[in-house]
Amino acid sequence: MSETNLRDFGAATRRSVAPDFTAKIFSRCNLDRYTVAQSSLGDVYVAWTPTGVSALRLAGDEHAFEAWYGERFGRRCVRAVEDDRTSSAARAKLRGENVTVPIDLSECSPFERRVLKHAAKITRGNARPYGWLAREAGMPDATRAVGNALGRNPVPLLIPCHRIIRTDNSVGGYIFGSDAKRTLLEEEGVDFAALERVARRGFRYVACGDGTFCLPTCGNVAKHVDSPGYLGLRSLEDAHSHGFVPCTTCRPIAA
Amino acid sequence: MLAVALAGDLDRAFERLVIAYRVRIVTFVARMLRDDARAEDVAQDVFVRAYRALQAYPAERRAALRLRSWLYAIARNLTHNAFRDAPPASEPLDYDDGNPRSALRDPEPGPENIVLREEAWGSVGAAVDRLSPALRDAFVMRYLDELSYDEIAESLEQPVGTVKASAHRGLMAVRAHLEKNDE
Repeated sequence: MSETNLRDFGAATRRSVAPDFTAKIFSRCNLDRYTVAQSSLGDVYVAWTPTGVSALRLAGDEHAFEAWYGERFGRRCVRAVEDDRTSSAARAKLRGENVTVPIDLSECSPFERRVLKHAAKITRGNARPYGWLAREAGMPDATRAVGNALGRNPVPLLIPCHRIIRTDNSVGGYIFGSDAKRTLLEEEGVDFAALERVARRGFRYVACGDGTFCLPTCGNVAKHVDSPGYLGLRSLEDAHSHGFVPCTTCRPIAA
Repeated sequence: MLAVALAGDLDRAFERLVIAYRVRIVTFVARMLRDDARAEDVAQDVFVRAYRALQAYPAERRAALRLRSWLYAIARNLTHNAFRDAPPASEPLDYDDGNPRSALRDPEPGPENIVLREEAWGSVGAAVDRLSPALRDAFVMRYLDELSYDEIAESLEQPVGTVKASAHRGLMAVRAHLEKNDE
């Protein structure tokens, strides 16, 4: 047997490594990694741990991002050389693909986690008021705290905190600014002009012709408020007097 | 160049080190342990150990490191520990008589006359598995992973002559095993 053959044998029998091989090493070295991904808001930094995506911020100054990360998470985050499953999933999600991205919210308080978990359920093309989210998270009186929790969302876009707006259907604040929030929502199909018209006429709910009534921000019901079968409603009493039942998607009133 | 990067900012350069050597190290560990399931864990230990060592080294020492032989040295030590803690069930058919003088005989590889076919690779693997740990280190590093004798000597902390002899004795043993199986 020649040395060349042995070398070929050596090369042909090299092992592959598991996809999370590097991630496990980094975790034990107390290092996180981040990459640059494209999103609706342009390039963003996406940082991840072995648990999931831990942070998302608009790309810009790497050093500023790393400093922010170190301060907030108490761990160093360095620019990744290659993707792994978590960062690839985040990349796909930000491109608009329907994939599940693991998220690491271990740095958040239990209340923040609860708020973000419920915010994550709001689907594209929809928006909900802060008070609604407070109610869903089981803290109906904590509207302001809900706003603060969303403001601390470590992974905007991946957890769509931009889908939470004011009760009067105005856009409200956002980590990346109100203009970015409005742009995102409009791209997703939220019709602010229609919402404003509905609000101006004093409608808090919209009946949808199938016996249910919705929040104006449930899909595109606001746009149809004057269409046959639809009906603007000023109050819950209004809805009840017509015999409408609450929509099970937007849950306009507490269950 | 990687060593220089590690000397500059260890954290930033560390992933490149892992990417550059992970397949080699996992493969080497798997060959040493003859246990694929444990190889991955031990190989991760190698890199974690390397990271902590690099953290402790001054920049000049990091810059001067010969990374390949240094990582093999860590891998070799950790596999020996793992081997000692949980030796494999089957005893290797040892070609090492434990006599250090016999290790010094015939340090040059002999002529190559056996043609190896691809389908014979399974039996090569079996022959390598049967080498004693002492011969397997040097044999695998030299003939399968193509490290230089200098690098192997550095990894094993042995004189070059000794590692040449071990690698060669490993080669002879592998050949003998294959010839016996051919009969």
